[in-house]
Amino acid sequence: MDIALQLTNLTKSFPSHKVVDGISLDVPKGCFYSLLGPSGCGKTTILRMIAGFAEPDSGTVVLNGRQLNGLRPYERPVTTVFQSYALFPHLTAAQNIAFGLERAGEKPDSIQLKVKKMLELVGLQEKGDRLPANLSGGEKQRTALARSLVVEPKLLLLDEPLSALDPALRKRVRIELKQLQKRLGITFLFITHDQEEALTLSDQIAVMNKGKIEQIGTPQEIYLTPATRFVAGFLGAVNWVNGAGVRPEFTHISRRPPTNGARTVQAQVETSAFLGDCFHVHTRTGDGVVLTVQVDHHEEQYSTGDSVHIWWHAQDELPVRE
Amino acid sequence: MNRLRAIFLAPAAGFTVLLFLVPMSIIVGYSFLTRGVYGGVVSPWTFENYQRLFDPLYGVILWRSLVMSTAATLLCLLIAFPLALFIARAGARRKSVYLYLVILPFWTSFLVRTYAWMFLLRDSGLINSILLSLKVISEPLPLLYNETAVVVGLVYGYLPFAVLPLFSNLDRLDKNLLEAAADLGATPWQTIRRVVLPLCAPGLRAAGVLVFIPCLGAYLTPDLLGGGKSIMIGNLIQNQFTTARDWPFGSAISLALMALVMVLLMALLRRDGEEAL
Repeated sequence: MDIALQLTNLTKSFPSHKVVDGISLDVPKGCFYSLLGPSGCGKTTILRMIAGFAEPDSGTVVLNGRQLNGLRPYERPVTTVFQSYALFPHLTAAQNIAFGLERAGEKPDSIQLKVKKMLELVGLQEKGDRLPANLSGGEKQRTALARSLVVEPKLLLLDEPLSALDPALRKRVRIELKQLQKRLGITFLFITHDQEEALTLSDQIAVMNKGKIEQIGTPQEIYLTPATRFVAGFLGAVNWVNGAGVRPEFTHISRRPPTNGARTVQAQVETSAFLGDCFHVHTRTGDGVVLTVQVDHHEEQYSTGDSVHIWWHAQDELPVRE
Repeated sequence: MNRLRAIFLAPAAGFTVLLFLVPMSIIVGYSFLTRGVYGGVVSPWTFENYQRLFDPLYGVILWRSLVMSTAATLLCLLIAFPLALFIARAGARRKSVYLYLVILPFWTSFLVRTYAWMFLLRDSGLINSILLSLKVISEPLPLLYNETAVVVGLVYGYLPFAVLPLFSNLDRLDKNLLEAAADLGATPWQTIRRVVLPLCAPGLRAAGVLVFIPCLGAYLTPDLLGGGKSIMIGNLIQNQFTTARDWPFGSAISLALMALVMVLLMALLRRDGEEAL
């Protein structure tokens, strides 16, 4: 597969610490690629260095074989969807979308046609003449997306673009975003700290921590076979017991010891939390280790103080050791 | 609660009524009376003072005042905008130092500062002496006592009034918008023209009003730097109350000037109101 974006040994220091510490990664063309990590891990700084708002101390940013280092932001064939959307408040949705085309010196009738098509694509054909102040959060988000996509960038950077939406809307927009990306075939580099978002949207995920990449892989790979303890814990809950890590959905609970040869520990139920689609039963072993078990609706329910056996199959243990 | 409100309002209300509304009413009264021989006012009541306003002689002065105030305002905005942009983009600590420097001139009397300009501009002043000693010119340039000198003095005097509202407007401007513009291919110039300037319209209007109104009523600057040749409305009013001893006419000019300013202000405020919707 062709490589769209190639970062090689990218480093950036702020006076106090190294924010980005030798990042190298390849983003294939047409890929939905996510940079996932906690806030302060350097992912936004990487995005800013690709967009041209910051220059790396060392390392190269190469897009489609062309080095971008040293180019001004307006010279780079890259656009950004900002976390706050950064829509121009004095321009209507349509004028916002037309902004980049005007800067590129396109003809007015061509601009009008492209803006109209783009408004339709993001479902805002009725809202083109509204100012951003009169758009809802979701509409603003779609306007920002349309504004960045209409100039047909070689790479679209998305800086936590869904974090300002309410949870229900976020899930719907997530699906739309994924469909849009597949349809247009534009390479997306998506920045997020939300592991669920990264898992549902991405073709590839690079998990970052403290300026370094911990693991690169498909969503399944990083969830099921995390390379480090950090990745395992950042992507979902993990029960750490006797040096092994098991996810709550692979952990089982019963009143009697299992007879299937599975690994087992004894514990006492502390609480049972109802999560809607399932229960999380929190238990504590004799050594004081807290283990969480996912229990479905149809399974037997447990209450505080119950003596139970917690068990799991050896093959469900995460490959990472404590 | 209402009593507390009344107590809080009392100083400002008392001050305004006693020292602003009362004198204003006196001026309104004077403007309809006849001049006394040694100043002051006598009966009968008359509209003559207002009719005299339309004398072409005064029209010239009004026109000159408008032109010079407009020129000074435009120059102020032209100088203040880049300066305010520069200050707004500076770091937090430098920002306060620069703002401090902008208001520093207020520490000295306006009169003294205007005299300082006379020392700079006059025939034997600093600028002419330097140019003469460098043999750039053989005769002193006529820098003082003309309309240019007055406009220079007005720009100098009212520049801080333009910088401050523009700064507060630019400082509040979302930095992300500038990055978004660059991201979409706008050069720094295009960003200023298409994003910064339109979003600064309220600041530009506020700055324009704050400079234009005091310029229109200026009397010290044209008096000292214009040398009595290029007088403005302010000087005309002052003349009526002093040498001309025509208090009723002076009152009428004052009120006419105030009416003009109010009309201009209301036109601007209406635009701001529309934009707020």
